[in-house]
Amino acid sequence: MTATETQTETIRVATTTPGPLDYTPQMVPPPEPTDAEDATRKNYLNYDYSLFGWLFTLDHKRIALMYLAAVSVFFLFGAIAAGLIRTNLITPTGAILELDQYNKAFTAHGTIMLFLFLIPVIPGVLGNFLIPLMVGAKDMAFPKLNLASFYVWFFGALFFVYQLLVGGLDTGWTLYPPYSSKYSHTNVLYAGLGIFITGFSSILTAINIIATVHKMRCPGMTWGRLPLFVWAMYATSIIQLLGTPVLAVTVVMLAIERLFGVGIFDPSIGGDPLLFQHMFWFYSHPAVYIMILPGMGVINEVLTCFSRKNIFGYKAVAWSSVGIALVGFLVWGHHMFLAGQGYYLSMVFALLTMLVAVPSAIKVFNWTATLYGGVITFSAPMIFALGFILLFTVGGLTGLFLGTLGSDIHLHDTYFVIAHFHYTMVGGMMFAWQAGLHFWWPKITGRLYSDFWSRLAAIVMLVGFALTFLPQFVVGYLGMPRRYPNYPPEFQIYNVLSTAAAYVQGLGYAMPIFYLTASLFFGKKAGNNPYRATGLEWQTNSPPEPHNFPETPTVYFQPYEYGVKDGLSVVEKLNSGTKSDGAQTKTVGATSDH
Amino acid sequence: MTTDNATVPETSYGPVAHHFNNMGQQHATVRLGMWLFLVTEILFFGAAFVAYTAYRIWYPKDFEAGSAALNAGIASVNTFLLLISSLTVTLAIRCAYVGNRKGLIRNLILTTLLGTVFLGLKAREYQLDYVEGLIPGNVALTKEAAENVLRARADNPNLVVNNFNENLKVVLKHNGFQGVPGKDYDPSRVQLFFMFYYGITGLHVLHMVIGLGLLSWQIVLAMMGFFDFKSRYIYVETLSLYWHFVDMVWMFVLPLLYLCGPHTFGQAVEQFKLAIGLGSGSGH
Repeated sequence: MTATETQTETIRVATTTPGPLDYTPQMVPPPEPTDAEDATRKNYLNYDYSLFGWLFTLDHKRIALMYLAAVSVFFLFGAIAAGLIRTNLITPTGAILELDQYNKAFTAHGTIMLFLFLIPVIPGVLGNFLIPLMVGAKDMAFPKLNLASFYVWFFGALFFVYQLLVGGLDTGWTLYPPYSSKYSHTNVLYAGLGIFITGFSSILTAINIIATVHKMRCPGMTWGRLPLFVWAMYATSIIQLLGTPVLAVTVVMLAIERLFGVGIFDPSIGGDPLLFQHMFWFYSHPAVYIMILPGMGVINEVLTCFSRKNIFGYKAVAWSSVGIALVGFLVWGHHMFLAGQGYYLSMVFALLTMLVAVPSAIKVFNWTATLYGGVITFSAPMIFALGFILLFTVGGLTGLFLGTLGSDIHLHDTYFVIAHFHYTMVGGMMFAWQAGLHFWWPKITGRLYSDFWSRLAAIVMLVGFALTFLPQFVVGYLGMPRRYPNYPPEFQIYNVLSTAAAYVQGLGYAMPIFYLTASLFFGKKAGNNPYRATGLEWQTNSPPEPHNFPETPTVYFQPYEYGVKDGLSVVEKLNSGTKSDGAQTKTVGATSDH
Repeated sequence: MTTDNATVPETSYGPVAHHFNNMGQQHATVRLGMWLFLVTEILFFGAAFVAYTAYRIWYPKDFEAGSAALNAGIASVNTFLLLISSLTVTLAIRCAYVGNRKGLIRNLILTTLLGTVFLGLKAREYQLDYVEGLIPGNVALTKEAAENVLRARADNPNLVVNNFNENLKVVLKHNGFQGVPGKDYDPSRVQLFFMFYYGITGLHVLHMVIGLGLLSWQIVLAMMGFFDFKSRYIYVETLSLYWHFVDMVWMFVLPLLYLCGPHTFGQAVEQFKLAIGLGSGSGH
């Protein structure tokens, strides 16, 4: 008995180097990379430069970078379409586009941004890159499936691109029959195929993430020690797993109807177009949580790190992700209040919609409480994260206007909906994505980007975004309907304001392309942990080596143990005059000496 | 004592993939992955079943009539084939587990054969439906239906007919269905039923084809002999999970599509005999 115990103890000591946590406040300059970190050591980027090594890689980190490249290109496409829409709306009669071109522009914007950007971006890039690192695994559970899911997604995306090249689609991204099945002369089938195939990629990624979280955690990484980003991705994956197949079947039925002229939603044989809307929104409403939950996960990581505080209410935040995922499945009917669904059904859906606001509010309150009393540094990721909280709160609260039966009758299908949706999706997800990209960029590339330019970009994006969509709340409330290229002249001032701000926003999105690219060539070496963050991903090298960790790590700590050493918070320590902690600073100094 | 993954010694047998610590972890992960995939599949078929259920609640009589026009004989035999294949695929897992290579190959081949016969009969069923003109949309009139239409046109020259509806009336009359078209059921709504029939069985056939492909792959692996049972039996197990799932889907498809209308045992036997060319020739 004692023999075994001793043996186990030896193994433990031999295989684990817990690595002391760094409680230094963020405001202290980042630790200089030591010589050992600086050396041209093998990492996931430089171990193989061949084209084959990239295209057929099974390394989750390389797959994440492939997603990053593809997703960025599609974001550009979607942004160009958005630019066309906004430019056209400068004048009340349409400035640059014909009527059918306008329809195609907003459909292209919707389909590309949703299926090719918002849904894959954080799961594909950050999820792929970080989840194995965060749980201390060597790779995702199914590396080949991971690669396959990228190529399946890319193949599906090509159908969207082809559909654009041969004339576009004019149904709106929602593809409602009977217009999409009988009357539209555009490429509904290619778009449907694109949705079907990219959906499979979503499912494969979801299976991979769930299996990784369940089975690949390193010793000591209990569910209660998982970073909240992982919890959020887990919840997202549940939605993808349960929702996506329903959309796939719905699109198949739509395709049958369009191909053969007779179909399941065809009113002439007794079919019901409303059923399509039910099935479509059964996926597509939870899909907005697929888009926002990963963003919320990112925010947890960034906020705690840049306020040097433990997250307020770990369990509440973790379970609220799962709560959003589950309740989110019960609210799809609020898209059809005015589409002819039963009155009492609408009441139930309105009630359930209020319910989904609860876990979202829990998150926002807990983030605010996390900031309280923290030592806040306004680095670029933090500005993005704070922007997220601000914009998401506005977006979420205006969602309640739309979820309420009475006010929805007035606001339905107006620019109010557009503004609400963009406040949650762009103000929420896009900002969270930028926060995450900036936060983990040093880990992904091993380089630091320009502090000044990144903060400037964050502020430009924030101002540009807020001014683009704030006028749309007003003009929507005044009654301007969505999807119309023409509008009464008295709405012009709001539209011009919105368009002008959209250009500012576009400028903001262009800036990271330059300073992030520049950082690859001229950026300072980041070192392993430039932010003194606690996550497992920061304890390995930057960029990480091909199998992530030199040896399997063991976790002894909660994920966000910032500033609680000796039971004193950083703030208390600063106030009491004891400089943060000499011992830690000494350790860092000692290592950089030799 | 050995609760940590890191302290479990690497097992001596089998190739463990580079990112797993040991074979146990790898097996558990692969199994979980397949179960998660099946959850997705349940929702996939579930969506189709929900749409079906909605319309069946609205149009119960029309769905009954549609079901009466289907070939219950072939469906019954196919059900038995699939149930037996579930047994053989389970035996295959056992053989893989205990290292019985011959038994594994035999059971996998049996399963593949049963699945292939199922698909063959299914193809024959589709072909018979085509001959009977039971394709919604623009389909030609069958001979008997055309005669009916000519007779009706003699009374009313301006009569406009839907070909599917006329074909359906002929088939239902042959099957002895006791309903008056237009009164007890609306033939154009039976088209809706047939959209579900082709859609759902088509999806099921697609899954069968994929399953047969996977089975063939495992047969090739087993026959080539580099099959390390202890490490690779998990793949036979997950394959069988998938195969059982496809069987289970059929267990829902059968009552939803075939058994929701009136069929008699004798009629089913007659239909099956006709389908495999042993019929009395009294068919239409």
